[in-house]
Amino acid sequence: MSEKCIVCPCEDVTLADVEQAIGLGYLDIDEVKRFTGLGTGPCQGKLCMVVTCQLLQKVQAADPSRRDRQPESQKEPHPFTPRPPVVPVSLYVLAAGKGADRER
Amino acid sequence: MSASGRMPAAAHRLASEAETVIIGGGIMGLGIAYELARRGRSDVHVLEQEYLTSGASGRNGGGVRMQWSTELNIRLMQESMEICRDFASELGINVWLRQGGYLFLIRGQAELAQLERSVALQNRCGVPTRILTPQEALRIVPELNPKSFVAACYNPRDGVVFPWPFLWGYAHAASELGVQIHTYTKVTAIDVLGPNRFVVHTSKGPIRCERVINAAGAWSPAIAKLVGVELPNHPHRHEILATESLKPFLKPLVSVLSSGLYFSQSMRGEIVGGITVPDHDDGQVHLGSRLRFLEDMAADLLSVMPVLSQVRVLRQWAGPYDVSPDGLPILGEHPALPGFYLVCGFVGYGFMMAPVIARYYAELLCGGSRHPVFDRCRLSRFADGTSERELMLIG
Amino acid sequence: MDKPDSPLSSAERSGDEPFQIEFEGRAMPARHGDTVASALIAAGVQVLSRSLKFHRPRTVFCLSGSCGSCLLRIDGRPNTRSCQVRAEPGLRCARQNAWPSADYDLLSAADAMFPIGMDHHTLFTSPRPLNRLMQKMVHQIGGLGRLPDEDTAAEGAPSAVCKHVDILVIGAGPAGLAAATAAAHKLRGKGRVLLLESQSEVGGSYLCHPELGRAEARAALQRAEDEGVEVLVATAAFGFYGEDRHREQPSEQRGLIGAASEKVLYKLSAERYIYATGGAPQNLLFVDNDRPGVLSGRAVGRLLACHGIRIGERPLVVGNDEFAESLTAALRRSGQTVMTIDGERERLVRALGGTWVEGAEICDDKGLRRTVSCDLIVIAIPPAAASELLVQLGASVELRQPGGFVVKADEHGRTAQQHVFVCGEVSGTMATLAAAAAGARVGKCVAVELVEQRRAKASQPAPG
Repeated sequence: MSEKCIVCPCEDVTLADVEQAIGLGYLDIDEVKRFTGLGTGPCQGKLCMVVTCQLLQKVQAADPSRRDRQPESQKEPHPFTPRPPVVPVSLYVLAAGKGADRER
Repeated sequence: MSASGRMPAAAHRLASEAETVIIGGGIMGLGIAYELARRGRSDVHVLEQEYLTSGASGRNGGGVRMQWSTELNIRLMQESMEICRDFASELGINVWLRQGGYLFLIRGQAELAQLERSVALQNRCGVPTRILTPQEALRIVPELNPKSFVAACYNPRDGVVFPWPFLWGYAHAASELGVQIHTYTKVTAIDVLGPNRFVVHTSKGPIRCERVINAAGAWSPAIAKLVGVELPNHPHRHEILATESLKPFLKPLVSVLSSGLYFSQSMRGEIVGGITVPDHDDGQVHLGSRLRFLEDMAADLLSVMPVLSQVRVLRQWAGPYDVSPDGLPILGEHPALPGFYLVCGFVGYGFMMAPVIARYYAELLCGGSRHPVFDRCRLSRFADGTSERELMLIG
Repeated sequence: MDKPDSPLSSAERSGDEPFQIEFEGRAMPARHGDTVASALIAAGVQVLSRSLKFHRPRTVFCLSGSCGSCLLRIDGRPNTRSCQVRAEPGLRCARQNAWPSADYDLLSAADAMFPIGMDHHTLFTSPRPLNRLMQKMVHQIGGLGRLPDEDTAAEGAPSAVCKHVDILVIGAGPAGLAAATAAAHKLRGKGRVLLLESQSEVGGSYLCHPELGRAEARAALQRAEDEGVEVLVATAAFGFYGEDRHREQPSEQRGLIGAASEKVLYKLSAERYIYATGGAPQNLLFVDNDRPGVLSGRAVGRLLACHGIRIGERPLVVGNDEFAESLTAALRRSGQTVMTIDGERERLVRALGGTWVEGAEICDDKGLRRTVSCDLIVIAIPPAAASELLVQLGASVELRQPGGFVVKADEHGRTAQQHVFVCGEVSGTMATLAAAAAGARVGKCVAVELVEQRRAKASQPAPG
């Protein structure tokens, strides 16, 4: 019987996958993103990022020593780098931007 | 990688002493650490300023090719390809190597003459590259616009990998052998106490060591400055994008040398690619994304493959190339600073070459044989003027 | 596909004359105002897509263009969000990533093979021949939609437009509409206010609100247009680019907003920016939380309020805020037998059922578990702030539960970034009417400040 609790529906990343990454020591949202692939599908994290950050927050709260290895700037929960485009954009429309209307 | 193999940085405190400190937790630094540890020299600390995959090793397109204009690069990449083929079974982590070939599209006759010489050299080395007419190229990639190029060269044995697992694989294996990997650890100063005597100061305290390896990629000139060394390489932003996922249709990585365009289809189905965009060269590492890149990339990509018009871009990012003046890396011990080693200036191909370079580097450091690459790529070549150029660079 | 006892077959709707769209070679009815997704749901299609790796069945979740579970091939274009495409006569659509069909997908064997998840890193790494075989197989079944049809490449020429305006408002939900209206009113025709909306109609969370719905969205749009606000719908702001510039921009300014409609690339800049980007519906963590029949409260509200579609007879609503309450009341008014849990004292453990939800396992705060029968699970929890553009431009955010990464701002919506303001869900104001009130306040304040700055500048003596 399937026991999947889906964290990232786009990439089919489960809670067990995220817990494995955390167990291996990946504690930053950017690390978890890369190790599990969550947040890299069609929605780019709109469904999975916050819930994963909350899981990481709980792990840190349970074991404050884990925070030690992170620099000050990383200690507060933070989103992974929101890469543009934040919504998918077709190559066709982007190609229109090349040319006359550009200013260096 | 075993589930018990905990992530490197999780636990270790910074020790006060080590034989070797490697600055930079990219594939080059981690690969050398692993190869050293495998030879029994595991008193190694790797210092990474952020997290693994945060630098160029986590930001590149994953191309692995044997098409080059210099014999040494061809030979090295033949060996590196073999290491990539065995990486999953040796290190226990999938790197998703897919040998679908590299197809270089040629837009002008002058360029063709140059590439014909490179292809002849590749053939002499045993690389089966062929020059193709546009019609022949269409048999490999039917979606190409045949009007967008005059000829092509194709090596079916080149390929693409998924870059990140190389880092995790090397890191896990190295740390199981005793190497200490410290993420979020920034080098702030280096004291040179004498030959083979250094203190590396970091955001987490100092480490005394006999040997420092500068594997900091685009950040290597800044690291070298800490010991008063001016390196001739400099960082250059290279932008890249990934589209939404499509069913597999594109076999090779396609590249246009004259514009710096390249694209391939990843195992997950995304089209991943980049193009050269002018940038300010102020010696700083810039990782911002620009709309201008998306526009240039989209326009050139669609001129080569119009059927992608309605395919959407999912994300863009930038990585830092580490550009050397002659397109060749800078390797070996600094002539004036015994114990200070360089492994930088790879101009965007450091990732694919790292597996083999790491192996020869470890051999050199362990007193074994000295591969000819260390003579050709020595820092002093820029002063001697004995340099030969690598011409087949993308971007 | 649609079993006679499917909860979707009881979808009820009113509206004007139906027309037909083509779904996998079959004609499906649709109505004016439908999106492709709403038409297919009303027609009883339970499975809209199959997931990437495990080929799990999926249907709409957010219905607002943020999730990826309604992706269809539409008119030859793969991976298209069916909730964002208007149904039009003759439109062709089909599901993707399934074999032999999305209803019975044999590739979903992967779901059973990996019961709790897939560690793709260590999957068959050795021996070597097995590793190579595995990679070949993964490559062959990987990917989502097929390449676009060739004729989609030739359609019309796209264009690029550059605009510099006085106030750019991003997001035409309750907050954005109110902000743009208030700002334009204050400027009294002496400045351009441009309002962007990524979806094909304005309204944002109005459209999901059972008591407000399209009527309120249209009224708010009318007020904005009466004040001279320029409105671009189906135009999504996709990035803040701090290094780019466009030719209409004042020479001292750097940074622009890239926005795109289907055929036009916009490069936009402004004297002041108001981000009213709203939020993305969120799911909870429980087993089989992606089973078709688990929908966001906003999706259920929108189907009801905008499309007259009611799904099922016995919904279970999870949530405890004002929106969850008004949605529950509306579902009851429509004749459904609604169960509710607050999601905190009592929480979901598992969605039961086959392809579609048939029940739920619930756990209370004492650890006692019970099973209820239901044919729809409505996740009516607050959305997560859509703060991506703001993070790109350097605004600081804080993680709130609920609310996600909310942008820090003062009571006038002012952020630490010069000329950047926020209102509505992105700054943590979740209730619909409160968001509209905040928008009006912020819009007015921004316009007043802009007018004062200009007056001060005009009264300064000319240099030299």
